[in-house]
This record gives sequence, structure tokens and C-alpha cells, in this order.
Amino acid sequence: MNQDSKRGLTLIAPPLAYALALLAGPMLAIVLFSFWTQDYLTINRTLSLKNYAEALSDPFYRAIMGRSLVVSGSVTVITVLLAFPVAYYVSFRVRPDRKSLWLFLITIPFWTSYLLRIFLWKVMLGYNGVVNSALTGLGLRDEPLTWLLYNANSVVLTLSHAFAPFAILPIFVALEKIDRSLLEASRDLGENAFTTFFRVTLPLAAPGVVAALLIVFIPTVGDYVTPAQVGGPNGMMIANVIQAQFRDLNNAPLGAALSVVAMLIVTVIALGTVWLARRLSRGT
Amino acid sequence: MSLAPETEPLIRLRGIQKYYGEYHALRGIDLDIRPGEFFSLLGPSGCGKTTLLRTIAGFEGVSEGTVTLGGQDMTRVPPNKRPTNMVFQSYAIFPHLSVAQNVGFGLRKRSDLNAAARQTMVEDALDMVGLDGYGSRGANALSGGQRQRVALARALVLRPKVLLLDEPLSALDKKMREQMQVELIRLQRQVGITFILVTHDQEEALVMSDRIAVMFEGEIAQLAEAEALYRRPIDRRVAEFIGTMNFLPASVSGDRVTVAGLGDMALSELQSTATTKGDTVAGFRPETATLLFEGQTTSDRVAEGTVSEVVYFGDMTYYDVTLEGCEQPVRISMRNVFGRPVLEIGTRARLAWSPGAVTLFRPGG
Repeated sequence: MNQDSKRGLTLIAPPLAYALALLAGPMLAIVLFSFWTQDYLTINRTLSLKNYAEALSDPFYRAIMGRSLVVSGSVTVITVLLAFPVAYYVSFRVRPDRKSLWLFLITIPFWTSYLLRIFLWKVMLGYNGVVNSALTGLGLRDEPLTWLLYNANSVVLTLSHAFAPFAILPIFVALEKIDRSLLEASRDLGENAFTTFFRVTLPLAAPGVVAALLIVFIPTVGDYVTPAQVGGPNGMMIANVIQAQFRDLNNAPLGAALSVVAMLIVTVIALGTVWLARRLSRGT
Repeated sequence: MSLAPETEPLIRLRGIQKYYGEYHALRGIDLDIRPGEFFSLLGPSGCGKTTLLRTIAGFEGVSEGTVTLGGQDMTRVPPNKRPTNMVFQSYAIFPHLSVAQNVGFGLRKRSDLNAAARQTMVEDALDMVGLDGYGSRGANALSGGQRQRVALARALVLRPKVLLLDEPLSALDKKMREQMQVELIRLQRQVGITFILVTHDQEEALVMSDRIAVMFEGEIAQLAEAEALYRRPIDRRVAEFIGTMNFLPASVSGDRVTVAGLGDMALSELQSTATTKGDTVAGFRPETATLLFEGQTTSDRVAEGTVSEVVYFGDMTYYDVTLEGCEQPVRISMRNVFGRPVLEIGTRARLAWSPGAVTLFRPGG
């Protein structure tokens, strides 16, 4: 090991130790737990695949896992689809000296805590909430709508709003990096504004779009605050089940196995997305 | 190669005005460019030359005036529908595409071509710019000179009526630039397409162009062939921009003119571009006068002075000579002939000059 890398290692040692203690350590513990079994009040430390068999075969867990993927997938698609025009507008249409103001405005929701924003959606969507009061007040409905809150849709809505800046920023950065003369070159070579977008802008923005997809998808699959608050019984997601296993049902090994399964599924989907995006953006 | 003036112009610009808000970028440009011509727009930065080129390409609309290409009014036609192609200053090579995909980018619209025909055209175009065999390379694996060639091939493969070049050589080092100048001239003759070059480098414009339009502050100051531009600059700005010129205060009275440091002469002897009365400015190029060495005689006129600065360039020496009766020294360039000494600062010098090389300008301008 040469002098430089030694010095570099010394420099990163404290955060590295911190990361190992608080990330790698718990991860290993989770993996280890997932191969043990809960024996009423004690934990049986003989290694077994029983938890995995249950996690993968029980229709309840499969349904919840499937719902988590669908909800989080919808959140991802909706968020990125809505984020792209915003990022495009800020990057291409906003005057250069106004761009930081726009980015600042986009990040304003972060000034309030995540939990508060979720409660605000409850206020908006609730039985006596803003939307229902408006509808009944205007005489458009006699009875308040009951399907607004406590289901998968309200989870999708709340998460999409919460994660919008995470999708806008990477796409914005990717669009900013595009040399504007490339767009003119495309026009010059016979493409109109529309085809230029698909042949030049979008392929060059692909890294930002992929980053946005992953940044939204990975944390939302495991989100448990939003489904717990606005999901109701039909909006429950995998993280709520994992939490229940660890706490209320006192079955940490099964909870650990569910966590590992969820992590593996997310990893496979993330790698698949990256691979697909690479293939798509290479050549047209 | 100069074409007969009666040739129907390929590009006709009439009364082009361009405003950016308050800023008046183009001030009434009238310009005809002939088919097959190598035409240059030359001027300092901010003179409007790039704006004018982008107006021809269609990237900039005009506030007033008309753009006609090949007899068709193109004033409101977008760039993708114009028979022009451009080589951008930054080359604008698509980084996500290979060299061949870059060159073939504009061929996708050509529905009359099958894949094989397109591939042949791409290969021919790469061959023409000396990049045969580079087709599968990624655009990011290219040097500056190679990127430039890809940009050329990408434009020329579409056989445009006009190729627009926006300062294409400014990003290259000196040697590469000289090589590309020669190559651009060769390419232009080979394909016979009209080239319009934008440059701030007067040498580049002189070397490459059939005709040059010199622009200042949104106007064309002079439009001429290279030699005429150098020999008979229309005003002081053009004379200063193209090459070097010595300017001396002069005074006209009747049919005679007195030039500081040079003396009195008849107006008819001069290469006069402005007949005027009273105080004015006279100019001559550094290479049109020579310093006389000991024992040399001349049939030209002789002015006396003192060497005040010597800049040695190997093959050339530049002398600044302070003439009697003139404070501002004049610059003289001398070829270093074998065996001739380089004069030292402070030496008394005799300057041989000829009235025929002196140009009279309007005062100020």
C-alpha cells in the first residue's frame, strides 16, 4: 500500500467505521436472524431456511410484497413522468439567473418534516378534509367521498408528492449537462423539435432518469410511515408487515427473512433497470 | 477561383435587421453569395458574423429583411427544412452515438435509401475526410481534429447546397489548423458546395476564401477578394483588422498631400481611397517600405529616421523607425537576407518608400 492510499484510508477511517457499525453490522445481524427461528419466547439459533420458505410461500406475504412493488412502481413512474417536464422546463425555459430560485422553490416541501407532510395529506383527503368539504360545500356531492383516504391510491399520492424533488433534481442535472449545440445540430441535420427530443435529449438525459427511478423506487418500497398513516388496511406495505413481525408478533427471524427477500427483489429490479436503460440509450 | 458576377446568387440576403431587445445585432445586411464559392465572414467578436451565419442556417429569425436560398424564400423556414448544414464551433458531436451513427444521423430522414446505401454513404463521407475505419468508434474517443472531421462528414454526407462553418478551426492548435485549412480548401473544390466560413482570424480568411466580407458592429464594412481587401482596404478599421498598417497624420491641400515623416507628394501618385480636404490619415503596410543598408541606393523616395525597436523573428525582423517630423514610430518588416546584419536600436536609418503603396483614408474612420 503506498503513502497516498494509507493517508486516504486514515482520512476516511472515522466515517468508514461509523458506516460499518451502523450499516454493515445491522445488515449482517438481519441476515443472521433470518436463518434462525423464533421458538415462542426464545430464539432457536440452529440455521434453517424455514423463514424463507414461509416468506416466499405464504399468500399473505406474497400479496403484500406484490402490492408494495405495485404501489412503489406506480409512485416511481408517476413521479418521474411528472418530474421530467418540471426539470425540462427549469433547465430549458427558465432564464439562467432564475434557475437557482426555481430549484429553491422545488425543495421548499423539505422545510417541513416528512411526518407533517403526511398528516397534511390526511387533512386534505380525510372524511371531513379539504377536498370533501370543498365538494360538499360547492354542492357537487351530497355525501363526502370515502375512497380518497386509507387505501393504496392515497399512499401513491402521498409518496409521489414527497419524492418529487428527488426525481426532479437528478433529471435537471442531466438536462443541464446537455450541450445545447447538440440540439441545434439535430435540427440542422433535418430533425424537428419533437424527433430531436427522442433522438438527442432523452438519450442524453437517460442517466438522470435512471437515477431518478432508483432514488424514488428503492426507498418507497421500504417506506412504512406513509402506508401506516394513510394506507389503511388495504394500503399496507411490506415494511409494515416487517415492523409487525419484529414488534407486535414477536417473530424477528421471520421479519428478518422478509427484509432480506425485499432487499433482494429491489436489488434485482434496480440492476435490471440500469441494464435496460444502458441498452436503450445506446444508439438509435 | 473567381466567378463571373452575373452568376445567379445562391444566397441572397436583403435588408437583414436583427434586434435582441434594444441591441441592434445586424444593421441592414445586403449580401449575395454565389454557387460554389468559398465565402468568409470576417470580423472581431461581437460584430454579428456568427449571428448572420445562424440567420442563414435558420437558428436565428430576422427582425426585418429576407433570406433567399436557391431562389426560394427561406426567411421563415426552420433549420431542418433548409438546404444548409453546419459545422459547429464546438463540433456538436453526439456523445451517445458512434462515429458512423453521428455521420449517418441526418440520413435517417432519407426514406429513398436502404440500410446498405446509407452505410455506403457514411463510409464514403468518412473516407473523404480521412477517417475511414473509424466508424465503430465512440464519439468520446476522438481527438479535437477527428471530431472536426466527423462534423464535416456528418454535414457533407447530406450534400447540402451550402455548408456553414462557425469558427471551425479556433479550437485546434496551430499546426492542425494550418493542415485543416488546406484540407477544407481541397474538400470544397472536391464537392463543389458553397462554403461560408465565419472567422475572426484574418489570415485564415485570406488563405481560404474566394471572397471575404469584413464586418464591424453589425454591418458589412467591405466585401472583396482577399488581395483587394489587403491592398485596398476601404477604411481604417478594415486596414487595421486585416494585417498591419502604419498610420500617419496627413494634410491635403489642393492636389497635394503632406504626410508626416514622409513629406509632400501629389494626390495622383497615391493609391487613394478617399479624396478629402484638410487633415486626414495616410497609411502604408510594413512590407511596402524597406530600410536601406550602407551603400544601398534606391529609385524610391527616401525618409530619414532612427531605429527605436528591433524584434527578431528568425526569417524576418520587425523594425520600429521614428521618422523625422513624426512622433509615432512606423513599423517596417524586413526579410533577413543572408549576410545582412540586423540593425541595432538607435541606428540612423534611411527608409525607401513609394507613394503608390500609400493609402489615404477619411479622417477618423
